[in-house]
Amino acid sequence: METFSLLLQGFGVALQPINLFYALLGSVLGTAIGVLPGIGPALTIALLLPVTISVAPTSAFIMFAGVLYGAMYGGSTTSILINTPGEAGSMMTALEGNRMARAGRGASALATAALGSFVAGTIATLLLTFAAPAIAEIAFYFRPADYFALTVLAFTSVAVVMGSSRVRGFVSLFIGLALGLVGIDQMTGQARLTFGVPALFDGMELAVVLVSLFAVGEILYVASRYRKNASEIVPMRGWAWMSWEDLRRSWKPWLRGTALGFPIGALPGGGSEIPTMLSYTLERRLSKHPEEFGHGAIEGVAGPEAANNAAAAGILIPLLTLGLPTSATAAVLLAAFQNYGLQPGPFLFTNNPELVWGLIASLYVGNVMLLVLNLPLVGLWVRLLSIPAPQLYAGILVFATIGIWGVSNSVVDLIAMVIIGIMGYVMRVYDFPIAPVLIGLILGPMAEQQLRTALAAGQGNPVVLVSTPLSVAFLVLAGLFLLAPVVLRRLRAGA
Amino acid sequence: MPNSIPEAPAGGGSDTARPWWLGGLVVALGCLCLYGAFSLPQAARYAGIGPGLFVTLVGGGLVLLGLILLLQIARDEQFIPQDTEDASGGESAHWPAFFTALAAALAPIFTIERLGMPITAMLSFALVAHAFGSRKTVVNVLVGAVLGALSWLLFTRLGLQLGGFLPMAGI
Amino acid sequence: MNLKKALLPIALFAALAAGSAEAQVNVMLPANPGGGWDATGRQAFQAMNEAGIYTDGVNFTNKGGAGGTIGLAEFQGGQRGKPDALAVFGAITVGSIILNQSPINLTDFRPVARLTAEYLVIAVSADSPHQSLQDLVAALKADPGATAVGGGSAGGVDHIALALLAQAADIPVADVNYIPQASGAETVTGIVNGTLAAGISGISEFAQFAEQGRIRILGITSADRKEGLDVPTFKEAGYDIEIANWRGILGAPGMPDDNYQLWVDRFTQLNESDAWKKVLETQGWDQFFLAGEEFGAFIAEENERIATVLKEAGLAQ
Repeated sequence: METFSLLLQGFGVALQPINLFYALLGSVLGTAIGVLPGIGPALTIALLLPVTISVAPTSAFIMFAGVLYGAMYGGSTTSILINTPGEAGSMMTALEGNRMARAGRGASALATAALGSFVAGTIATLLLTFAAPAIAEIAFYFRPADYFALTVLAFTSVAVVMGSSRVRGFVSLFIGLALGLVGIDQMTGQARLTFGVPALFDGMELAVVLVSLFAVGEILYVASRYRKNASEIVPMRGWAWMSWEDLRRSWKPWLRGTALGFPIGALPGGGSEIPTMLSYTLERRLSKHPEEFGHGAIEGVAGPEAANNAAAAGILIPLLTLGLPTSATAAVLLAAFQNYGLQPGPFLFTNNPELVWGLIASLYVGNVMLLVLNLPLVGLWVRLLSIPAPQLYAGILVFATIGIWGVSNSVVDLIAMVIIGIMGYVMRVYDFPIAPVLIGLILGPMAEQQLRTALAAGQGNPVVLVSTPLSVAFLVLAGLFLLAPVVLRRLRAGA
Repeated sequence: MPNSIPEAPAGGGSDTARPWWLGGLVVALGCLCLYGAFSLPQAARYAGIGPGLFVTLVGGGLVLLGLILLLQIARDEQFIPQDTEDASGGESAHWPAFFTALAAALAPIFTIERLGMPITAMLSFALVAHAFGSRKTVVNVLVGAVLGALSWLLFTRLGLQLGGFLPMAGI
Repeated sequence: MNLKKALLPIALFAALAAGSAEAQVNVMLPANPGGGWDATGRQAFQAMNEAGIYTDGVNFTNKGGAGGTIGLAEFQGGQRGKPDALAVFGAITVGSIILNQSPINLTDFRPVARLTAEYLVIAVSADSPHQSLQDLVAALKADPGATAVGGGSAGGVDHIALALLAQAADIPVADVNYIPQASGAETVTGIVNGTLAAGISGISEFAQFAEQGRIRILGITSADRKEGLDVPTFKEAGYDIEIANWRGILGAPGMPDDNYQLWVDRFTQLNESDAWKKVLETQGWDQFFLAGEEFGAFIAEENERIATVLKEAGLAQ
């Protein structure tokens, strides 16, 4: 058990008071900045990069690991309580989580999110400890056709968030797809749908669309329909965090979410969006209470939350074992390694075992720390809802503005915020579902890029799209997800 | 700052009756995409799919969906506003409140570079609170300013670029 | 030199009189935090501070997007005539300006110094039949469609290097099946799993995968072989190409001559300092120094060369 003794040494490093302090600092910073809409872990760590000049490498990476996990926790809190996901990974959490909060079960939602993240983070860290090299190979196994099939599978999540009208659901999806096309086409370098505005060359910032649709749209809508006596939120009924019933319904989604999030997080470009969407779809399809979905089903919070935390751990695997940065966050961490003159990869394990194992051990420590920080804070967070509505919504708008302005310092983004916010208002008034816009915006560019790469490499032969076992498996699964409810209904009707 | 008092609901219930413009807007968006696709090559040498193809497909899809939507509207499709916390869908829109909140969202476009984050936050905060019927304007202005200033200090320290504190004063 | 010595106290006095806010140097980093340009700018001033060349405050502005053209356009308009306004930029910017038909005119700026370069390497999978650059080029010539090559964004340095290679081997540039990848990680995985016949990228992104035995590097775009990397240059293989992803510093348009000379001197001093050498070593950057008007001439040459290649590739008019 060489790994085990190395891990013990790692704990020796991670549990030093100074490193515990950095883990705490990172967790708190990550949570604080994760609460700010639009500012995710990648930007937070990038902003903290200058500390690499004055802090020892082990301590710095322990802090960054805290930021990574902390940002994931912070993002889910705002999703649940005020329907404002901080980043795309917590969008699916908002769907059910905010419904739960409105029904006075905000504390249960926060608790299942915190516990689910903890469970997912712990399992993922265990896998990282004992099976990292094997899992890292997944990254090399995936071909463009597989990615394309994976995005097709993720697109099935549109079906479950379609809302009452299919036409309006598709309108939402296509608006998202159109927004995703804005910017310079990576494959040919041509500007698409930018209409000569240079600020649009890099495309619509996902954070801007996310924050505008959810936060600004909500503020406009509620403002126009707000009556003081209509305020019937039940802010505090959930003081007792989770009932046994909640726990019984949560543990399977936690595990399934982890199983989805971890490997997809380890893929280049995998990220946390696809696993959370898939997890939500899966839970909705498997649930014994499908009627509760859309009205606050706890499974719809537990699964995606576990998935997004597992994905956060997943990105560390190819980074540490291969030196392969698979996401923006990983690329920033790689830059941090380079600031110390270190090169992550197999040689890092032999040359700097203290750093690597200290970092891995600190992930365990960080997980426990975040749980300890967040569970008691659940009560405090829920109290946010007892702020009177005028000041609560005013505060949300201020934070949304800070988030959008802080990301890019672009007035064009602020203009986009208002336009997309008005769109969010119209969509609420005329009952268009919001989530398909974001699904289209996130998956559209990915699907197009992978499809074109696959076809270009296969010189235009479409057979290449079903040339690997994985791509076939994903496409079949996508078909099952879409057709299963129809077939089941037929069977039941026939019986 | 608007002085209207949001008590008498304006606009009536007309905004859910036959919203032709909604279908028209979707068609227009689709046409915009098609117009953008017009100048792009639809095919490429090896992939077959050029940069314009997806734009054309999405534009065409939007036009089609817009037309179906118009058809639904002609057949008297009902649009029931979503239920949201603090807002019941059945309620008709109160336009002064809506436009006050919209002004709050618009304010940063004009003020954030010239007046800085704290003053912008103060304006936005007070406007939204006003839109929600709070009449403790002095308190709201103060809270907004303090919130903006504290956030500016905290997040600037963390390394975010939020511009000057009070650009007019050169800080 | 005398004039400069005489001016220095006056400049110092003026700076003190104007207050500390005015004394600050403004540096535009036309990229998001965490990337190469961000690091170049921040590390250069950090090293200057350590070496005692310039120790006062520096005000960094990150403004990413479209290969640096967004930030540089803002810099061009907003800092015109300012005495101490600098911007980081590089080879990618030159291509992006042409590709995006950006209104930026690089000759408008004052060329302060070129600092670093990262050379590009071309690699195939470890089990690829191509043992040398000549093998790969022969395959490329025989069937360009089947020999897909991956790299960074369309019209970027990677793409241009491949186009130059094709030119040198008499392969029509428009026939090359170049597939831009979203990141260096995707290029590496594409080479390893056989989606791409070859890939082209900066050394730092490929070197360790070659060490791990997953890919084989066939050639490097530098003038001489790189120490510690047993790989022939493109020139050795018979293709007269030299290209690098270089990074440098521009002064604001209309920067006063005295300030301009001061900054050229400071960066020249920086280039010789130990602090900077240490930065180059930890970051794995190659020294690629050129200062002042010579650097201006270099930018003009690059502009010309890249524009020609992009036209041949059908990416620019």
